[in-house]
Amino acid sequence: MRAWMIVRLALGGLRRTPLRVVLTSLGVTIASGAIVSMVGFALGLQAQAEAPFEKLGLLNNIDVSPKGLKLDRHPGGPHDPDDPDDAPPPDDAPPTDEETGPEDAPTLDDAAMERIEAIPGVALTYPDFRATGVELISGEKRQRAMAIGFPREASLLPFVRDMLVAGDFFSVGDAPEVILSDQIARKVGFESPEQALGADVTLEATGLAPEEAETFRFERKELKLEVVGVYTVPRMGPHMMMGNSVVLPVELMKEIPGIEFRPALASLRAGRSATDAGYQRVTVRVRHPSDLASVEQTIRDMGFRTRTLLSQLEEMRRFFVFMDVLLASVGTVALVVAALGIINTLLMSVLERLQEIGIYKAIGASDGDLIVLFLTEAGIIGLLGGLGGLALGRVVSWLIELAANAYARSKGVTFHLDLFAFPAWLLAGAVAFAVVVSVLAGVYPAIRAARVDPIRALRRE
Amino acid sequence: MPGANDAETLIVARDLAREYRVGSSTVRALDRLNLTVRRGEFLAVVGVSGSGKSTLLHLLGGLDTPTSGSVCVEGRDLASLRKSERTIYRRTTVGFVFQSYYLVSSMTAEENVALALTFQGAVGPTRRSKAAEAIRRVNLEHRMRHRPNQLSGGEQQRVAIARAIVHAPPLLLADEPTGNLDRATAGEMMALVRRIHEELGTTVVMVTHDEETAAQAADRMVRLRDGRLVDEGASTP
Repeated sequence: MRAWMIVRLALGGLRRTPLRVVLTSLGVTIASGAIVSMVGFALGLQAQAEAPFEKLGLLNNIDVSPKGLKLDRHPGGPHDPDDPDDAPPPDDAPPTDEETGPEDAPTLDDAAMERIEAIPGVALTYPDFRATGVELISGEKRQRAMAIGFPREASLLPFVRDMLVAGDFFSVGDAPEVILSDQIARKVGFESPEQALGADVTLEATGLAPEEAETFRFERKELKLEVVGVYTVPRMGPHMMMGNSVVLPVELMKEIPGIEFRPALASLRAGRSATDAGYQRVTVRVRHPSDLASVEQTIRDMGFRTRTLLSQLEEMRRFFVFMDVLLASVGTVALVVAALGIINTLLMSVLERLQEIGIYKAIGASDGDLIVLFLTEAGIIGLLGGLGGLALGRVVSWLIELAANAYARSKGVTFHLDLFAFPAWLLAGAVAFAVVVSVLAGVYPAIRAARVDPIRALRRE
Repeated sequence: MPGANDAETLIVARDLAREYRVGSSTVRALDRLNLTVRRGEFLAVVGVSGSGKSTLLHLLGGLDTPTSGSVCVEGRDLASLRKSERTIYRRTTVGFVFQSYYLVSSMTAEENVALALTFQGAVGPTRRSKAAEAIRRVNLEHRMRHRPNQLSGGEQQRVAIARAIVHAPPLLLADEPTGNLDRATAGEMMALVRRIHEELGTTVVMVTHDEETAAQAADRMVRLRDGRLVDEGASTP
C-alpha cells in the first residue's frame, strides 16, 4: 500500500506538467525504439542465417572420415574449416598424413560404422555417398544431376518429412526408388511435383570401378527407378546445392560405378588393397544436439576425424553478438541523451515543487521517502518512454520490412523476407533498460529534493 | 516557572534565537526567547507579520534548528537530535496545520489524510480506518472522496486538520490556520480546533496575527514583537 501511495503521489506530480512529461518520455521512446528495431534487425538476420541449419537438422550431424585417408584440398596444410562439406575432394590430392601413419589409422568400414551406431545418443549412421555427373532420363529428356545417398531409415527424421513437398520417403525394403528435387523434376518435364510421383525414370552413370589386381574398369550402368517423392530445399544455405540433386537409398548408391573409385585409389596409394578401403565419409546423426559433443569425442577416440557444423555456427553467432552489442550501443547513446532530458525535467520539477516537498517533510516524510518519490517519477517517465519505444520500434521495423519486401518483389524475389525478430527478452529488456537508465537519471534530482530545506520551502513572508 | 521540567511541561524554549543571513546582513527572527508550554494547553502566539511567529513554530516542530538556545519537547533537546531522529519526532509528536492548507491536489481528502500515515509507515486497513476516523472528527465524512479543488477553503482546512491529527500527536502546531478564511468560517475552524484540543487533550500552539480569533479559542495568549515576547498572560480565565 505504501508503494502504491508513492506511485499515486508520483503520478500526481507528473500530471501537473503533462506536456513536459510527454516530451521527456518521447526522448526515451525514440531511444528505446531505436534499440528495439536495431537489435531486432540483427536478431532477424541471425534467424535468417540459422534457419536452414535448423530446418535441415544439420546441427545434429557429425561428419566422420578416416584419418589415414586424408584427402584434403590443401595438401599438408591445416584443416580448412570453410571447406563446404558437400564439396567432393579433388582427385589429384596426394595422400598426406601428419597425424598418424596410414598403417595404424583404422578403416571406416561397416564394422566401424556398427561400433559408432552403438554409441549412446546416435540416431543414425550411414555412408555419405555422392556421385556427380549422373544423368536422369525421363522419356526424351535428360538432365545432369548429382546423386546423393540417404538411408531408408532417414524417414524417421523430422526434417526429412519437412523437406518433402509431394509423395513420400523411401519405403522399407529394397524397391528401386528415387526422390527428386523440385528443380530436377521440372527440368525433366514434370509440370508439378505430384505429376512426377509414380513415374519410371532411368539413372545413367559412368565411372571407374576398382577390380582385384590394382586395376580399374570403365563401367556404364543404367538404374531403373520409380519416383516416390519430390523435395525442396531452401534457396540459400548450406544445402542449396541439393536443389540440383536426386536422392537414392544408400544401398542403390553402392551400385553406381565409380562411387568407390576415390577411396580405393587412396587406399592403394596408402599401400593397402583397393577392396577394403572402407568409406571416405560417414554421416552420424545424434538424437539431440546436446548429445553432439560426447558422441563426437567418442568417435575421435576411436581414431577418426570428425567435423560438425555447430562449430561453424558458433563462429557466426559470435559475429552476431558483436553486431547486437554494436547496434545496442548506438541506441544507448540516444538513451543517454534522453536521460539528460529526464534530469532536466526532474530538476525543474523539484524547483517548482519546493513548497510541496516542504509539506511532505512537515507531515513526516523522510529524505528517503522523497528520494523514492522522485526516483519513482523518473521510473514512470522511463516506463512510459520504454513502452512507447516498443510501439515505435515495431512500427518502424514493420515499415522497413514492407519497403524491403516491395523492393525485393520488384527484383523478382518470390518469397517473404523476415528482416526482424523480436523475442520477448528483447522487448522486456528494452523496457527494463529504459526504466533503469531513467531511474539513474533521477538520482541527482531526487537527492536535490531530499536536501530541500523545509523552512525555506514553507516560508512565505 | 520557566525551566520547570516535570510531567506538566511539554515544551521549554530557553534563550531561543534564530538568525538568517540575507545577503550580507543578518536578520534576527527570534531574539533570546523564553517560553514554556504546559501539557494540554492551548497557546496562541500573536504578532504582526515578520515578528518571528512562523520561525518559532518551525523550531518547535523540528523543521528548523536554532542559532542559539534550546527547545526541549517532552524533555528531549531538539537541537541534539540527528536528522533521522528529527524526522521521527515530526512523525510521532507533531501535527502541522498551515495557512494555505497544502493538500496534494491529485488525491482525495481521505488519501491526503492517509498520506501522513503512509510516511509514518502505517499500512493497510489500519491506515484507512484511522484516516476515516480523523475525517469524521472534522465532520467531513460526506466529502471523503472529493479532491481539494472540489472543496471550499474551510473544508480544505478541515482536511488539513484531519491530516495533522490522524496519528494522534501530543502537539498540534497551527500557522495562521484561519488566514485564508472569512470571519464566519474562521470562527467555525477555531471551534473545531478547540473541540479537538478538548476531546483529544492535544496541546495546541497556534500563531496568528488575528487577536480576536486567538482570544476566542486559546487558553493563553502571548505577544511576539521583533523576535521577543512582550507580555504573557491568560486570555481567558
